[in-house]
Order: sequence, then C-alpha cells, then structure tokens
Amino acid sequence: HLEDKSLLVKNTSSWCHCQTSSVSEPCLSLFSNTVKYFNHFIPTISLNTNIWNIFTGDIGDHVVLINTRHIAFSGNKWEQKVYSSHSGYPGGFKQLTAAQMHQKDPKAIVKLAVYGMLPRNLHRRTMMQRLHIFPDDELPDEILANLTEELPQPREIPKKFSEYTQEEIDAFPRLWTPPEDYKMK
Amino acid sequence: MAARSMLGSLWTTFAGLKLATPCTNLQLQQRIITARLPAVTFQSRGIRQVGFSPKLILIICQIEGQILDVPAGPQPPNPSAKCPIYRWNLQNKYSYTDVLLLSQFIRSDGGMLPRRITGLCPEEHRKIAICVQMAHRAGLLPDHKPKLPEDHVPKRPKPQLNRYLTRWSIDSVKPIYKTGLKWCKRRMAVGHPALKNNVRYGVKPLYMKH
Repeated sequence: HLEDKSLLVKNTSSWCHCQTSSVSEPCLSLFSNTVKYFNHFIPTISLNTNIWNIFTGDIGDHVVLINTRHIAFSGNKWEQKVYSSHSGYPGGFKQLTAAQMHQKDPKAIVKLAVYGMLPRNLHRRTMMQRLHIFPDDELPDEILANLTEELPQPREIPKKFSEYTQEEIDAFPRLWTPPEDYKMK
Repeated sequence: MAARSMLGSLWTTFAGLKLATPCTNLQLQQRIITARLPAVTFQSRGIRQVGFSPKLILIICQIEGQILDVPAGPQPPNPSAKCPIYRWNLQNKYSYTDVLLLSQFIRSDGGMLPRRITGLCPEEHRKIAICVQMAHRAGLLPDHKPKLPEDHVPKRPKPQLNRYLTRWSIDSVKPIYKTGLKWCKRRMAVGHPALKNNVRYGVKPLYMKH
C-alpha cells in the first residue's frame, strides 16, 4: 500500500494580493497522491485551479501533484476503464485500459481526469499549463522552493493489519470463541 | 487451536532428529512452551499450557496440556443474540477497512472460517466474506496470504496497482471498450450491493455504479 506522503499544497496568494503586486510570483500548491481517490480529489483540484487560475495574464496559482504513480482506483476500474484516442489517420483508433495507460505513463491518468473536469473553454489549456504533475516524490528545485500550502487529502487511507500495534489488536474484543474441539485457525 | 498446531510442529521436529547421536551430552531439561493467545477472551476458556519433558536415552517427547484460567474480556452489549455481530450491535457499521474485525473471521492464509464454527448468521457471513475479499484486494491483509513453496517464481510480473472497493476478481473483469450512450451506459461497479444498508454519516448517497 502507500504511505501517506500526500501533500496538497495550495497557493495561498489570493487574487487581490496578486493584483496589488506588479509581478505575481507563481505560488505553487502541492498535492501528493500516494493514494488517489479519483472522485473526491479531482474535483477539489479542479475547484482550486478554477478559482485561482481563472484570472488572465500571469496571475494565478499553480498546483503540483506528486506521487501519481501510487494512485488508487475504486472498483475494478484498472481493468474496466478504457482510454480511447484516434490519431486522425485511418486505422488509428487506440484503446488502452487504465492499467496499460498507467504503465505507459503514470501522469496521464491524472492529467486526463483533471482536463475532463475543467470547464470546456479557452481557459482550460492555460489552467492545465499551471498544473504540474510528478509521478514520484522528486520535484525540481524551482518548484520546491515556491511551495506555499498543502491541500488536504480528500479520503483517508485505511490502515493495513500489519500497521496496527499489538495493543490496539488486543484492545479490540474477540467477537466469538471457537469451540473446544476445533482444530486450527 | 494454536497450541495444537504448535504441538504438531514440535512433534515433527523431534521425530526428525537422529536417535543415533549419543545422548549423554544432552542436558535433559523441562521445557514449558506456552501458546501465545490473545489475552482478552470474553469467556474464561483458558489457555492450554504445553509441557514438554524429554525422557532418558532416546528423545521421546511427552507433551502435557494444562488448561489455565484467563480473565474474561468485555461483555457484549446484546448477549441474547445468536450472531456475534448482532451481539455486539455492529450490524450495519463495518466496512472493508475494519481489518481488526475482519481478521477475527479469517484463517491465517486468508480464507474465511466456516459459518458453523464462527456462529454468524448467513447474511452477515456473506457480508463479512465480501468485506474480506475487498480488504484482500486493497492489500489491507498482507500477512494473510497462502503459503507458496519456496522456489515458486511467478510467471508474469504482477503490476502493483492500488485499488479499493473492488467487487469483482481482478482476472475476471474485461475492459469496457464500448461504454454506450447515456441512456444505455455500461457502468463500472464499485463496492457491493450487500453493504447498501451500511450506516452513512454524510449527506451523499451510496453510489455503486460509476
């Protein structure tokens, strides 16, 4: 499973601050999705990008997503969800399952998801330019230096059985007792 | 039960020892091996203590079992019910993430225990089985895997993908190449309809067809 290293850092610079200063620094928000819960986190991302990046010019916050390689899909979507594309040439219809897509490019799934949730206008492309996705923890220095805020995870990551301490396991009551002559567990 | 499996393993280890070795060098000691069982059981059934006393020349193991008293654990709030989940009033309150609960109904290799042993009612047994399956697929029970022989090499490297609330088995699902139009969309299943009566603390309805 995944350690919860997800940090969603959001730009705190409000648009009014940006307007007063002549040059607005691109402040960055960081979102790390060790476990990515699609339905919940993508809307939050798109909401943030929507609010903050809508303004024209160089104003607008950036959002950084890390650990996209460790995204989680609910249900059987890794096998069922299919990403289709057509190159425009005859015979150029390609269909890839989410698992194949992820193996080919770990950033693609997140990118397509965010792209699909942004409003279908001309701002969408500029907003996508302000989204920075990284498959692992490593970030380039310019981005690391400018990170301001961390956005919260939309869903809690459940604990594995091995992550519980022995006291917690003992504190949980036994619901049933096995009969005397039952052989083994 | 754990004691018995331990006894079985002890017996085999000593059966395998060569009896030709001179036993004068060996120090015959009384070894008492206590089985590790959880301290909290709400009936005082007692832990069996395993005593092990080797005899003179040949190493013959004599295993004695003594039943000890164990302090009773917390009592269930509804002791008159038949099913353990109804006894503890957990009917619609558990999920695939409650590994502490689910681990009490599974074997060490991850399989479910029979219903006649655990005493669960049929619906709850099914629900727990479904939650256990989902927990296994989510990777929440890493130690409850079946034992493979040591020289086992997997044929294809498995991709490490994180998932949760998987209803169907991974190999049995086929990609949805044609999803259909809005009125006849082929949806992807998330969660399980058996758990549709679970308590929901938020406003949003349960959404199983994605």
